[in-house]
Amino acid sequence: MMRTVSAAETAPTTHPWAVHAEGLRVRAGRHLAVDGLGLALGAGVHGLLGPNGAGKTTLIRALATVVKPAGGRLRLLGEPVDGRADLRRVRRGLGYLPQQFGFYPRFTVREFVEYMAWLKEMPKPLVPGAVQRAIDRVGLASKANARMKTLSGGMLRRAGIAQAIVNDPEVLLLDEPTVGLDPEQRLDFRKLLRDVGHDSCVLVSTHLVEDVVAACSDVVMINEGRLVYQGTPDDLIAQGGAGDAGDSPAERGYSALLHRHRAEAAR
Amino acid sequence: MSRILGIELRRSAAAGAVLMLLLAGVILLYVAPQRWSPGWMSVVMIQREYLVLLWPLALAVGAWQSRREHRSNVAELFASTARPRAQRMMPTLGALAIAVTCAYLATVAAVVPWIIGTARYLPATAFVIAAVGALAMIAAAWLGLAFGRLLPHVVTAPALAVAGIGLLMVIPVAVRHREWLALIFSPMFGMGQYTDYQTVYGRVSAAQAIWLAALAGAGAVLLASGSWRTRVAALLPAILGASLAIMVIPRDDKFVATPVDPVAQEQVCAEGSPQVCVSRVHSGLLPEAAPVARQALALLAKLPDPPTTVHEDTTTYYPATSPPRQAEVVLMRITVDEHGHLADKAHILHEMVTTLGANTDGCRGTSSSVPVMRAAGYWLLGREPATDDPEEPPEVNAEAVKLWQGLRSLPEKEVAARVSTVRRAAMACEDLGGLLTGRAQ
Repeated sequence: MMRTVSAAETAPTTHPWAVHAEGLRVRAGRHLAVDGLGLALGAGVHGLLGPNGAGKTTLIRALATVVKPAGGRLRLLGEPVDGRADLRRVRRGLGYLPQQFGFYPRFTVREFVEYMAWLKEMPKPLVPGAVQRAIDRVGLASKANARMKTLSGGMLRRAGIAQAIVNDPEVLLLDEPTVGLDPEQRLDFRKLLRDVGHDSCVLVSTHLVEDVVAACSDVVMINEGRLVYQGTPDDLIAQGGAGDAGDSPAERGYSALLHRHRAEAAR
Repeated sequence: MSRILGIELRRSAAAGAVLMLLLAGVILLYVAPQRWSPGWMSVVMIQREYLVLLWPLALAVGAWQSRREHRSNVAELFASTARPRAQRMMPTLGALAIAVTCAYLATVAAVVPWIIGTARYLPATAFVIAAVGALAMIAAAWLGLAFGRLLPHVVTAPALAVAGIGLLMVIPVAVRHREWLALIFSPMFGMGQYTDYQTVYGRVSAAQAIWLAALAGAGAVLLASGSWRTRVAALLPAILGASLAIMVIPRDDKFVATPVDPVAQEQVCAEGSPQVCVSRVHSGLLPEAAPVARQALALLAKLPDPPTTVHEDTTTYYPATSPPRQAEVVLMRITVDEHGHLADKAHILHEMVTTLGANTDGCRGTSSSVPVMRAAGYWLLGREPATDDPEEPPEVNAEAVKLWQGLRSLPEKEVAARVSTVRRAAMACEDLGGLLTGRAQ
């Protein structure tokens, strides 16, 4: 299939990092949930790990431009994201699946994904094809014309992923996307992540360390709003020893890192 | 945008709104068809009056639609997208505007089969009145959207509907004698027809359109705005619109709320003779009115120097207008029944003959005149005088019967002369007492 390629699409990327945060501080209510975080992410699938309350969701919300950073520096796709910036260009390159995925229940899957494509200001001629492709990629083709309110939990999650990837985002932010997926769907989802991560920056927050090891090229671990660790899954596994808590090597690595960070923080 | 508008038309409250408003509108109209059966102007004006219910319903529809965003918890997801809020609202605004306009105009269409056979007079003003009504519906829906966004609660829509009805009820009372103010701010005020010739001044429609467009604009700005500063800015179109409308509306006219359309009053005549004419607004009824009128003329033809023409009596009391008095012209009151046809033909004939074809409007009748007029009229009809007024003292009709019996004993030519005298005196507003009695001349 041939399509016209716009100048913007073929332009070389001028930014070294799709996501670049330095000393980033973000509030969640009054609480400073992200506090002095430094992070640089390029293409690939990055698994975001951390205990509850570590600031994962707040970080993702800041990267999704939903909350304004309270301090520090944040650049997305090379453009500064702060109070005064015009975020329109950056947002066109974003895909976001919030932890609580809100949708219009009377819309069909196709209609909702198309509506999101419109909100993301995709060029009009590309929309119908992109919508079909996104729905196909999450395996919802047979449900494309079903109303959103008729979908099961797992299907809704996949519809949420479809709307997030419809614009081929350069930065894809998924907040706990595997909740509600059955084991087979999780396998499909990991394959999809690897696909998208080929030339985009994907950040996936999850509690499932196994998902990260299986699907991610890179692990980002935060605790209490700060970066604890960034490295490859193999390196994460190497951090753990036989004495650490966990049922798998990756879980033991996770426990070991967290334990060490807490010990340092306590000093 | 057009595809998204299509989605919104299918999936928003728009489709349900069309059904609800259409149903409500049609029920309201068919509850009392005699209110609009006289013609197209009656239809569009009465429908404007029913805005008392349709307008608050449109408010509620908007508020209901606006709750969708809150209820479905999409704020988080949408906040990450590029398209500005104002643009995002356009398909919703468009879908609701299309829905309420279609519902309003389709309601008019629902009465077409009922009166298509009898309604003739369709001035451009009728389209203007309907268009202003549709604009009022759009303004209500958009305002409802804005309120629903500011107060996203399940009771907002019904509360807004009740408040809307209340507002429309209070406006005419609140403005006291400044009716022109009520005409601007209430889209239903002044739309009840006192006569079939009533219309709406073009400048009144213009002022209403200005205000309603401004109100719709304020609603759209309020809906699209993301901050309190821009929400306050929504007051600007409202204030501008109100000031402009106040400048445009005619204020010196005492009858600004009940003007009469002189073109609707113009006489349109049937073919053939004797000449029978009705007002333009009733011209569809000529085939029904002409035989009755000619029958009356035939009965009156017993008199020497009889009337030769029938015109519709286009008298209105507020404002006071009346057709000129002419000896050869008999006036005929036309009332339209609920099916759009001439009501009570027998009564029309009876009235034309028992008044001897004399226009006595504005005369101060004396008690002695009534039996005389009745005896003369019933002589023409060839029947014994009778009354259907149960409150009339029995002596009045007894006197008429006595006079009528007296007439029967006289030669026909003599009676015709006396009745003709009565008719001339009646037209001159003179006392008729004693005109039928006395010696034969």
